[in-house]
Amino acid sequence: MTVVDTPVYIEGIALNIGWHDATKDLSELIFDTVTLALEDADQSIDAVDSVVLAAHDLVDGRSLSSMVTAPAAGAYLREEIRFSDDAAGALVGAMTKLESGRARRSVVAAWGRSSEYNYDQFSQTLFDPIYGRPIGLNEFVLSAMRAQLYLATDHHKEQRTRASLRRDEAARANPRALKSGGYQSAAPYPLVPADLPLWADVAVALILSVEPAPIRVIGAGQSSEPYALGDRNLRALQGLQLAAGRAMTQAGTTSSQLDVVEVDGLTLIDEAMGLESIGFAAAGQGLEQLADDPRCNPSGGGAAGYCPPAMGLVRIVESILQLRGEAGVNQVAGARRAMATGSSTVAGQTHTAIVVEAA
Amino acid sequence: MTELITIPGRWEFDYTYFAGEAASRFFGELKDNRRIMGVCCPSCKRVLVPARSFCDVCFQRTEDWVEVGPEGVVETFTILTATFAGMPKPPVVIAYVTFDGADTALLNVVTGLDLSNISDAADRLQARPRVRACFVDEPQGRITDFMFTLF
Repeated sequence: MTVVDTPVYIEGIALNIGWHDATKDLSELIFDTVTLALEDADQSIDAVDSVVLAAHDLVDGRSLSSMVTAPAAGAYLREEIRFSDDAAGALVGAMTKLESGRARRSVVAAWGRSSEYNYDQFSQTLFDPIYGRPIGLNEFVLSAMRAQLYLATDHHKEQRTRASLRRDEAARANPRALKSGGYQSAAPYPLVPADLPLWADVAVALILSVEPAPIRVIGAGQSSEPYALGDRNLRALQGLQLAAGRAMTQAGTTSSQLDVVEVDGLTLIDEAMGLESIGFAAAGQGLEQLADDPRCNPSGGGAAGYCPPAMGLVRIVESILQLRGEAGVNQVAGARRAMATGSSTVAGQTHTAIVVEAA
Repeated sequence: MTELITIPGRWEFDYTYFAGEAASRFFGELKDNRRIMGVCCPSCKRVLVPARSFCDVCFQRTEDWVEVGPEGVVETFTILTATFAGMPKPPVVIAYVTFDGADTALLNVVTGLDLSNISDAADRLQARPRVRACFVDEPQGRITDFMFTLF
């Protein structure tokens, strides 16, 4: 990846994690969140010339092409990209608009509303209908098989318990986390309920700009793994490793120079593996790092509320709040540089890593 | 106060997925000859299972078909102890198995294991036991034509 000449800044952010708010339909939830991000940026929609959205038809229960949601994010008569994968990739899409000079300011928004559906009912339909779906493959089955490989190679029991406790404590202390409602899916062996995410309603928005602002995106990387899961090394997240490496190369940084990392993962074990993949924890030490290092997922990760495909963008917002010194009780003192990652809704096939810095 | 309305919804559509020539031949081999087939990538030389028409790592077409298995080794597994949509009544073991002669793993249900004690069953599976493809009485040309059986 070449070094970008046009700096991209983040002017505004908004994050709404809730549950079953019947006072708003989905478009109103999106409109409110984008409005808050614009207010945070001290900008009006008139100053926006690009909109990039990440959403998933199955999560929404609506076709993304139906135009139900895009106008609520400010897309009316603007250049718009619709992205059906994890929302951190949508941010990269918005960056390309700005870096190419096609736009000067972009909304990036993503959402998912777990209270409108049952994830377990449609999870299987996300997978290949010829080889995977007939066997019962779903997202948690896959994470369980990944976890089995991870947990079998080392003795993680004590670290797993401590990491889980610390994650729950961090989520409870996170003022943006879901505090009531939500639900958890069933846990296939060797996963246990404490490993699982808390399904929530999530709407998140950022305002990106070429105008100087306190937070700058200094690196971005992406990578995609093979489609066939049986072709992959499930013990490693090779795509994330490459994405993080590309982001850090562009940023001119190393993992040891990061003050905060917010790693996306469906389960606690996936978060630990993600931490190792980006080089912030040594191989086999991801759970221990999650347990002991307050710089790792200070937001509480998936325990704070989870809904694809918004989570990569949520991790980015949590990182930015750290750099702005506005993270609350979980604030990492003096944080200046952070990495956030997002992995695709289906089986972590695609990965995006973003490095942000206080300008 | 305004009564807040929720409207029930349900998606139920029919699809017809084209398996394609390579998968059709793979399933035909299951049904007619009870054989597991892979293809050898001309570039990386890996034997890819299930057989497919291209190697996505090398971005090369594949044409060299080879039989693999019917025995192989468990790579990783999970045990479903709760009911999951579309799955048999729990407990159920599903696993990725690499057949002898193959370089990639294939997913299927594992049978032949005493699941009365999940922990004991997991211990046995963690040892990466060998399994054999065991076919159903009347194969239909689907991935469910066989399961993995411990021996």
